[in-house]
Amino acid sequence: MSAVVLLASSVVTWLLRVGFIVIVPARRLPEGLRRVLDHAAVAALAALLATALTRESGPAWLLTPSPVLVAAVAAGLVAWRTGRMGLTVVVAVTVLWAAQLIM
Amino acid sequence: MNSAPVDVSAPRIELAAVRDIVPVAASVVPFALVIGSAMREIGVSGGVGVLGGGAMYSGSAHLAAVALLGAGAELVMILAAVAVINARLLVYGAALEPRFRTQPRWFRWLGPHFLVDQTYALATARDDLDEPDRFRRYWVVAGLVLGAFWIVAMAAGMGLGAAIPASSPLNFTATAVIIALLAPRLRARPQVLVAAVAAAVATTSSSLPNGLGLGVGLAAGIVAGALIEARQR
Repeated sequence: MSAVVLLASSVVTWLLRVGFIVIVPARRLPEGLRRVLDHAAVAALAALLATALTRESGPAWLLTPSPVLVAAVAAGLVAWRTGRMGLTVVVAVTVLWAAQLIM
Repeated sequence: MNSAPVDVSAPRIELAAVRDIVPVAASVVPFALVIGSAMREIGVSGGVGVLGGGAMYSGSAHLAAVALLGAGAELVMILAAVAVINARLLVYGAALEPRFRTQPRWFRWLGPHFLVDQTYALATARDDLDEPDRFRRYWVVAGLVLGAFWIVAMAAGMGLGAAIPASSPLNFTATAVIIALLAPRLRARPQVLVAAVAAAVATTSSSLPNGLGLGVGLAAGIVAGALIEARQR
């Protein structure tokens, strides 16, 4: 059963991946719709981040001081200033670890 | 017709891909360990688990599928959950379609297999992938390295089983990668507004089942972006 579930889930996921690339190429979508999709990256990353923070500290994550929020803000500053991914990850984990000891 | 001189000083694109993807791939290791351990808990065999990880190449949906399977859900229910969680891949595909348009047929069908949040964000952040051959090599190397980390960590998770701690600061690495991909994009007011709307809506709709809140937040951010564009014109 688990093999069938994973295979079928993989097929569904793959169909979503190729959907607007080969099945209905995005260039055939209306121009307005395509321009709207330019904002998808920022919207998706922000929604992913909010979902992750909500999972960690509940829907009031922005208003509740927590080690995770401190680490997220520190990581955000480092990423915004340097754009360096490795450094951002190291700072995030280190600050989270330290904040969990203190808070 | 001029042929462009070969720039021997330019770093090879494969190296750039490895440099970009290794921190990302390392960051998904804790998640893959958790999924591997969850698969072992519900009795998925090692081969099925590892092959499934490579075939699905999608963490959140994989974990949801395993959790629902463990809870005895029907196949249709599980596939519906997978489709909802991964609906955003459609949007990513649409955004990357110009990159795939000029590719060979095999790559147009198989290349998108490596489409996940992180590879999408990395590929759209680079401005040196206009040449089809360059994009293809970047995409394949990044996808294979990420997949290798993913599968090895998942196999380790299946081996270790319940020895995996449920929470540790290392679990935060995936979130840190999202922050690292997002923050540099927030340089102009429209992007900040789109991000704020998407985050606020994803947070307030986070109680929806099966990760639906994520999709609702994404949609709200895209609509906000469209409204901002409409006002500017």
